[in-house]
Amino acid sequence: MKTVSFLLKRLAHGLLILLGVVVTVFFLFNVLPGDPVAMLAGQRSDLSTREAITKELGLDKPLPVQLLYYVNDISPLGIHAADSVTQAKYEYTKMLGFPGEKVLAWKTPYLRRSFQSNKNVTDILVDHFPGTLWLAGAAMLIASIVGILFGVFAALKPHSFLDHALISTSILGISVPSFVAAILIAMTFGFYWSHYTGLNLTGQLFEIDPFEGRQLELKNLILPAFALGIRPLAIITQLTRSSMVDVLSQDYIRTAKAKGLSKRSIIQKHALKNALNPVITAVSGWLASLMAGAFFIEYIFNWKGLGSVTLRAVENLDFPVVMGATLFIAFLFILINILVDLLYTVLDPRVKLS
Amino acid sequence: MSIKPLLSVRNLETQFRSQHGFVKAVNNISFDLMAGETVAIVGESGSGKSVTSLSLMQLINDPPGKITGGSAVLQSKKFGEVDLLKLPEKQMEKLRGSEISMIFQEPMTSLNPVYTCGRQVMEVLQLHENLSRKEAEARTLALFQQVKLPRPEKMLKAYPHEISGGQKQRVMIAMAMACEPSVLIADEPTTALDVTVQAHILELLNELRERKGTSILFITHDLGVVAEIADRVMVMYKGNIVEQGNVLDIFTNPQHPYTKALLACRPKIITFQPVLPTVSDFMEVLPTGEIVEKPFVKDDSLPGVVNNYIDTMAELKRKQLMQQSTKPLVKVDDLRVHFPIKKNFFGKVKEYVRAVDGVDFEIFPGETVGLVGESGCGKTTLGRTLLRLVEPTSGRIIFNDIDIAGLSQEALRKSRKNFQMVFQDPYASLNPMLTVGETIMEPMKVHNILKNGKERCEKVNELLETVGLTAAHFDRYPHEFSGGQRQRISIARALALSPKCIICDESVSALDVSVQAQVLNLLNKLKREMGITYLFITHDLSVAKYMSDRIFVMNQGRIIESGTPEQIFNQPQNDYTRDLIAAIPKGDVADIRKAQERRKGL
Repeated sequence: MKTVSFLLKRLAHGLLILLGVVVTVFFLFNVLPGDPVAMLAGQRSDLSTREAITKELGLDKPLPVQLLYYVNDISPLGIHAADSVTQAKYEYTKMLGFPGEKVLAWKTPYLRRSFQSNKNVTDILVDHFPGTLWLAGAAMLIASIVGILFGVFAALKPHSFLDHALISTSILGISVPSFVAAILIAMTFGFYWSHYTGLNLTGQLFEIDPFEGRQLELKNLILPAFALGIRPLAIITQLTRSSMVDVLSQDYIRTAKAKGLSKRSIIQKHALKNALNPVITAVSGWLASLMAGAFFIEYIFNWKGLGSVTLRAVENLDFPVVMGATLFIAFLFILINILVDLLYTVLDPRVKLS
Repeated sequence: MSIKPLLSVRNLETQFRSQHGFVKAVNNISFDLMAGETVAIVGESGSGKSVTSLSLMQLINDPPGKITGGSAVLQSKKFGEVDLLKLPEKQMEKLRGSEISMIFQEPMTSLNPVYTCGRQVMEVLQLHENLSRKEAEARTLALFQQVKLPRPEKMLKAYPHEISGGQKQRVMIAMAMACEPSVLIADEPTTALDVTVQAHILELLNELRERKGTSILFITHDLGVVAEIADRVMVMYKGNIVEQGNVLDIFTNPQHPYTKALLACRPKIITFQPVLPTVSDFMEVLPTGEIVEKPFVKDDSLPGVVNNYIDTMAELKRKQLMQQSTKPLVKVDDLRVHFPIKKNFFGKVKEYVRAVDGVDFEIFPGETVGLVGESGCGKTTLGRTLLRLVEPTSGRIIFNDIDIAGLSQEALRKSRKNFQMVFQDPYASLNPMLTVGETIMEPMKVHNILKNGKERCEKVNELLETVGLTAAHFDRYPHEFSGGQRQRISIARALALSPKCIICDESVSALDVSVQAQVLNLLNKLKREMGITYLFITHDLSVAKYMSDRIFVMNQGRIIESGTPEQIFNQPQNDYTRDLIAAIPKGDVADIRKAQERRKGL
């Protein structure tokens, strides 16, 4: 019951956030210099062509009306024309008829079509998201596992050689910009030493094989995921260390020792679970922001992901794609945050949902 | 003696590495613990009593601590005769929790917050006795019943934050007793608990000891508690055992001046002393480290008291009546403070904690009102509400004809100079980034008292001397001072505004008894010299009795009884007050004798 009420509340908050994102992006787009119609029509187009395009994209209407139409399009519950063309466009399920050939309808959110490619934005996102998901997921998996291990080792013997070595390396990891690290990694392991490592400089998650079609190529993930994971890894190492050092000085650790538990089980059973809270906050924050796409890494490794799509769309003033991608990323952020809040309650019984 | 002692400690020495080289925390101490015996180690903070117990368990953190010498021979069931100080870690792990176990001071933090109480006790059983989950659970349930936890089945599934401090300490005891150890080390097990809870825990320990024949090494700073539980006492001072002997001998015929001082500086419930003696009245520590006894100059017999001070009982009564015929300084009218704890979906509050629930009282100028009660009774909230550090839910707080509860923020800020507060924790209530001088000067700056910085500096120096520090302390930082000195700084800060009333919220609870005596003497001196009115909030009834002209007893947000200390102690009207008074460990010689005879009969 408590969980349900919590989820409802958070989802309601989430909807408000999404609405805020729509409004912000919409107005930002309209104050930016540049004209999507001119971009689309090319330099030598005449006025009538431009007018036709403007009308087709719905850009001739006043801004508030445009916004309202967009919100109506992305809302699962919207009011649409009752004709069959509109029905085919939105693929809606009619719920209630209105006078004037209008219906209240239920549909999957319609993110419109790209100005540039005329492809459905949903399809573009579906096409590019797996690349980002795999990349971000793998990067965070490496960062979390290695980072937590490093952090624990550093904390076990504070101010020892190992501790100093790990912590100074992690400072290096934080301070090197990701594009520098990415280029170094790509050149070293994907080019100079590629005959030892067997890894490529660039490559996709799915390669098209002439004989067998689409193939999952996990090894192409290794270098970009590693490059992307360095910064979170370093930060997780430091967080785990400081949190672990703090936990190890707590009274209940002394109690655990007094019980006769071995050092190993004290760390594993009593210390780690208590030390993880701040680490989870960091992991989830990083995961969410990596989901938004890691443009430099995608660019350097020529990786097909959300970051590059979004950036290209911004360049081309491709409003539906930018809006669609932003909304999708915002949605992921909200989702991850809700999940993490639930996770806290599992890890720490003192945390109450509210 | 033909029987070998269960634990025989010889020449134990533990050092700590510090910036100034090695410091001996425990210096060459020796003692024996016989089977079934309870030995108490008594001392103030820094005496090395906790280090002694942790050394025996090999739980000293290295670095900075190190056991540098001595032996502690235990007659172990598993390994025969072993030296605990030299035992390898692997074997030590087998002894810890099974043959020697330990209860700690802070039940609040000594249990792991992320596991259930049941699981933490079961862990010991599964570890040392190879029990299955089911068997361990059944044993734990039985243990929970033995330590008298209410609803033991529920306690198995409860997390530490869901139960009270006393219950947590019972869980700790269950954990320590789980494998029926031969030695139980209890390190200040009742210090953090309310007196009534303390009485129950002591009773429980006594019962377990008698039933199972466990030897207990009981570490405490409170001689009253020692009287309740120990057969023999060791008094520790700065890493040395200065005196050890039978508990009755220590109480009736203490030899060492430090023991005498410890016995004397606690406010007594039965006798009345206008000034509490302190350790420095009894002894002097020479630069060589040698302790020299001073002839005790102060005559603490009743005629002496009358000669030294005019505050006889009759005088006090007369003064009190006079005070109460004047207009009250503070008048509190139906004050309520409620905190929301449960809200519904739309944020509407559904349930409150009634921290202060309809309180009326008056405080007259120049009197000390003691507000006593156990943790959670609302006494601290009440004190803070008087200053509006906590906003009242309803009611009036009238101070000099002005209702503080209704003041605007600005007017409130100005009015605060009449009220000051001295908090409990001297370590946390001073800003570590400000020097002592800045700390004391700040309130004067805020309220524009005195013309300029120079005058204020002079005032600060004057205040420092008033509270027993010197002008040389002006530029020092709080971390350079001891707890007692810090509390003096807090008092000087409170005095800076020449307030009419000071609220002392457990101001001496965190201090050692000898330091406590000094601070109490200081507060009383200020009262005599400056006519300050105190609201003295404390959980310690003997301190309240010593300090107060009137005492309010608070329980569950209400004042359930009020009266002069004599009325409260001699004719308590309320059951709760009676329980509180009964639970105070009194260190009464007759009681000790009775307890010892009973034990011998067993």
